[in-house]
Amino acid sequence: MLLEKRFRELLEAAPDAIMQVDADGRIILLNRVAEDMFGYSRDELLGQPVEALIPRELHARHAEHRAHYRQQPMTRTMGSGLALEAIRKDGTRFPVEISLSPSESAEGFRVTAIIRDTTERRTAEERLRKVREEYTQRLAETNAELEMTNRELERANRLKSEFLASMSHELRTPLHTIIGFSELLSEELEGPLNEKQKRFVQHIHTDSLHLLELINDVLDISKIEADRLELRPEAFDLTALVAESLASVRSLADAKSHKLETALDVPTALEADRLRIKQVLVNLLSNAIKFTPEGGRIRLEARMQKSFVVVSVTDTGVGIPPEEHESIFDKFHQVGATTKGVREGTGLGLAITKRLVEQHGGSISVQSQPQQGSTFLFTLPLGTAGRKT
Amino acid sequence: MKKVLVADDKATGRELVRTVLEKSGHQVFEAGDGEQAVAEARRIHPDLIILDIHMPGLDGFGVIEKLRREEGFKAIPIIALTASAMMGDRERAIASGFTGYITKPIRLGALRAEVERLLA
Repeated sequence: MLLEKRFRELLEAAPDAIMQVDADGRIILLNRVAEDMFGYSRDELLGQPVEALIPRELHARHAEHRAHYRQQPMTRTMGSGLALEAIRKDGTRFPVEISLSPSESAEGFRVTAIIRDTTERRTAEERLRKVREEYTQRLAETNAELEMTNRELERANRLKSEFLASMSHELRTPLHTIIGFSELLSEELEGPLNEKQKRFVQHIHTDSLHLLELINDVLDISKIEADRLELRPEAFDLTALVAESLASVRSLADAKSHKLETALDVPTALEADRLRIKQVLVNLLSNAIKFTPEGGRIRLEARMQKSFVVVSVTDTGVGIPPEEHESIFDKFHQVGATTKGVREGTGLGLAITKRLVEQHGGSISVQSQPQQGSTFLFTLPLGTAGRKT
Repeated sequence: MKKVLVADDKATGRELVRTVLEKSGHQVFEAGDGEQAVAEARRIHPDLIILDIHMPGLDGFGVIEKLRREEGFKAIPIIALTASAMMGDRERAIASGFTGYITKPIRLGALRAEVERLLA
């Protein structure tokens, strides 16, 4: 009796429904959890075929499975991988997980079934699946939206480039004849001009060249900002490029009686966008000329430092107050008091210069004190933009 | 005296180039669009053609494509004149058969030098 009492206690302590079925599939033992789970009283179930707890459409198949299990009895999960369903007294169905263990005793073959109601787990799984599905769906939608935004941005960017190209073309066409005819007039091949006429024509010519410079700068900065400025690296001789750059500012320097000096100690060939580096050099040189009072000295130095070419342009000009050392590289920034009496620029030169240097993988900085001249120093890496050839 | 054909859809542009080249002692003919340029070229057989790239209808590329297919125009110098400042345009022009390339606005010195180089 004590043994039976202990067995009972054990049976009732289990959190799962436990049943025992005999060789004919009749229920011969069940615990309290089983009663509650299926909604039957103990007496209603004892002696009933276990199929009473299984949906009707599965009865025949279940009987077969039982017979089969009788042939190959072993402890295992029932219908592994299948979604098993049980049926309550009130006809409602619920998902279950069942473990089977065979036992052979004096009373014959028996099967112990441990049944767990998995409704909650199923619901949780279902909820998880839904959340995952929703998440995947939302992610796909967000991706589609992003793709569309990207396409629109690309299109806008392309339109901007096309607009810039045609704008530049349209602006240059009338400038072509303004610059050309004013140059033609000032050559006096069609007859002499008096001093005043000559000066006026020269004004037209100078200012239309300035306008051209503005158009080119605006086009450059727009291209840079739209990330559409493409470098065209080629191998070239920096020494020759420096000479070329000096030649193109020589007349500006002569007009103000500046001395131009160079000190070069660089490899003969490096690889970078030749025209853009010339643009950088000419820009720094003409700034130096512009902001240095008559009779100054402009010195261009280039040397190697580790894997970089370091180029500096030093003048004896008006200098730049320290608080403006950063902002001079901003668009449309013009050094406050120091620009007095200096021909107006576009305010874009240094911004473009900085971007061009940076796009080559280099950097640019300035050292200067008011009235003590300025040194602009930029680097070009040999490794990426430039390398010895 | 060499015969130079100048094709540009802008009359002021043609007059500018004409004036410069006549001062240099050349005989200048004009065409206001691509079709005219082809017809004039066939009629006068110029020593040099200065061709604006950007013309309505048949543009400069269209003109050179037509002319270079004809025996009489296989070798004559043709200069591209363009207000477009886009990188790669020069390469494209040379690849299309142009022998010279000048951007607008022209500097008179550059125009004279290019013309003399190609007529030499």
